[in-house]
Amino acid sequence: MKKVFFIFVLLIYGLLIVSHQSSAERMSHKEYAKLDLKDCNECHKAQGIPLTHDNDWAGKHHQNTDWLGDHRVSAGKGGTNCSDCHAQSFCSECHFGGGVDVELRKLSYKRNYMPKNHRTDFISIHPIKAKDNPQTCTRCHTQKFCSDCHSKFSGSDLKFKSHRRQFSDLPQNVAGSSHNGYSSKDCQMCHPNGLLTKHEWSADHAIEARRNLQSCQVCHSDGKTCLTCHSSKSGLRVSPHPRNWASISGNFKSRSNGKTCAICHN
Amino acid sequence: MGFTKSIFKTFVFGTALLSVSSAFAAEFHGRSSTQYLWFNNILNDQKQAEFAQHLSFSLTDIDPNKKLSLFGYGRISQDVMNGEGFDSRLFYFYADYRDLFDKIDIKAGRQFVNYAAGSALIDGGMIDLKNIGPIAFSVMGGRNVFYGIDRELTHAGDAVFGAAASLTGYPATDAEISYFMKLDRDGIAREQIGAMFKQYLFGGLKLYGNTRYDLAGETFEELLAGVKYFASTNLLLSAEWYQSYPTFDYTSIFSVFAVNRYQEGSFRADYTINDMFAVRGAYKWQDFGDNSEGHVFEAGVKIRPITPLMIDLAYDRRQGYAGDLDGFTADIQYDATPNLQLAGGAAYDVYQRESMTGNVDAQTYWLGARYKINKTMSFDCRVQDALDIGHFKQDWSGRVAFNYDF
Repeated sequence: MKKVFFIFVLLIYGLLIVSHQSSAERMSHKEYAKLDLKDCNECHKAQGIPLTHDNDWAGKHHQNTDWLGDHRVSAGKGGTNCSDCHAQSFCSECHFGGGVDVELRKLSYKRNYMPKNHRTDFISIHPIKAKDNPQTCTRCHTQKFCSDCHSKFSGSDLKFKSHRRQFSDLPQNVAGSSHNGYSSKDCQMCHPNGLLTKHEWSADHAIEARRNLQSCQVCHSDGKTCLTCHSSKSGLRVSPHPRNWASISGNFKSRSNGKTCAICHN
Repeated sequence: MGFTKSIFKTFVFGTALLSVSSAFAAEFHGRSSTQYLWFNNILNDQKQAEFAQHLSFSLTDIDPNKKLSLFGYGRISQDVMNGEGFDSRLFYFYADYRDLFDKIDIKAGRQFVNYAAGSALIDGGMIDLKNIGPIAFSVMGGRNVFYGIDRELTHAGDAVFGAAASLTGYPATDAEISYFMKLDRDGIAREQIGAMFKQYLFGGLKLYGNTRYDLAGETFEELLAGVKYFASTNLLLSAEWYQSYPTFDYTSIFSVFAVNRYQEGSFRADYTINDMFAVRGAYKWQDFGDNSEGHVFEAGVKIRPITPLMIDLAYDRRQGYAGDLDGFTADIQYDATPNLQLAGGAAYDVYQRESMTGNVDAQTYWLGARYKINKTMSFDCRVQDALDIGHFKQDWSGRVAFNYDF
């Protein structure tokens, strides 16, 4: 991976050298800050100057799906001129919440407006969205945000109405009644190959955990559940580490002052 | 929390003081938005209503040389129905001194900082060194501010530091290499190197990429490479390849677990047919490892049959690992008069989270209006009804806002 990284850096500077560069400074856009995006075309498209905002950039990262991360590139430190037109509240509205100046079409929950991909029943849909790209959620939410909410929906507190939707409130089909009348011993009748219903957790959970370990963390934030089997002090003592652990374990030990290691090792 | 309250008080009193002092040559602009909001609180199934006051401002040209500015944005709210009480949040409040010795920019206070290696909301400072050649430098650091659902979760010892070097003076090229470190009370929680690159070529091609490399895990946390081709003034073709590797704070037990790499490839086309129609289509392939895949499709059209009317229709479908999602959105915006904007929309989703459950659908409908009383004052109103949301058959929510621009 180190090689890939250095190749990437070399590629950057290689392109710098071969491309024809102008030494002129990028012009300030402050005097154009109030223009509509379509009016930008008078200079950009007519004179062949590429648009940072592309055809429809302003709406792109608020569309229904999470397409294209190029606004992150534009918002980087190198050559950014976002502040010519935008105050930090423009970033804040999506990344930290807020709502002082947004369009009518924006959704909101409580006091904070939400990006459009949080549409309809996002409480129920977000497990699908969260697995799409493990980094998408963390651009606006820390992992503690997830734990903060999930801690209010304890797995042992299934009487909590919202959390009941995990199982008992789910309909059996589009027009059917809910699962409310079934107990766990009835699962096998209809779901003979279901992961959880077969209670093959020990065999199959590793695959699920490797794909989306964040999901485990949101409800088991201290990891004690995992330690039942993965601690070296007791239990099954199954190693959860990646293949290159021998070469990187010292990195974690030194940075956490050994505290992370001490959770499982004497 | 006490620290945040102190900053917020400073923000409120400082703003009031600055309002008085705006009789000086300084430029004082911003927005005050007074809002009434109502919604169902999913955490306790109770209806909730609250008043909120937002204030964002910029105070520029404070000093004779017009180098010092002050920027702020905060919000206070009071629940009047559900017992949640008072809440406040300071999004940013910082002083910005530019062009010290024509080479240094300084920002001090609560601010959003963003490097390729990491981003954060900090109570601290950022110093940029520029005009020293083709490379500019930046350092930043401060208390790491982050929130849970309703409250700040920052503890003693939460801090971030970073540094960046970026290319400057090249209109067709942006590049940055940066370092980002996050600390918590147990030690170093994150240590990352980031890089960003953007290059315009031949007048119609844009290459871009960014990456974050995790120093402890010795792995790329993120790696993005993309290309955009402006085939004509009306046609934009985009392609991206992206991969990510889930990482956790080093002080968390989850950081030592083996995880799968996620990767995706996507292609997108945006075509503006004429002044009335613009269409778009996209496809994304997802790989979750262990032979698990996903596929995402999207199609959309923007229609502007007459200048004041804009209709945006979008459909997307997701299939594969983690569940299926099939839905559309429709948004309409109509500028009835120069001062009155009407808008409305709908969203409909059918989703299946687990293979062991059937399809579930959810719907949302909304209406909104914005009326400009004059150049400085306006009213906003938005009402939304969601059907079959969570365990609510009907989930009404909305907001009314009075905005004052100064």
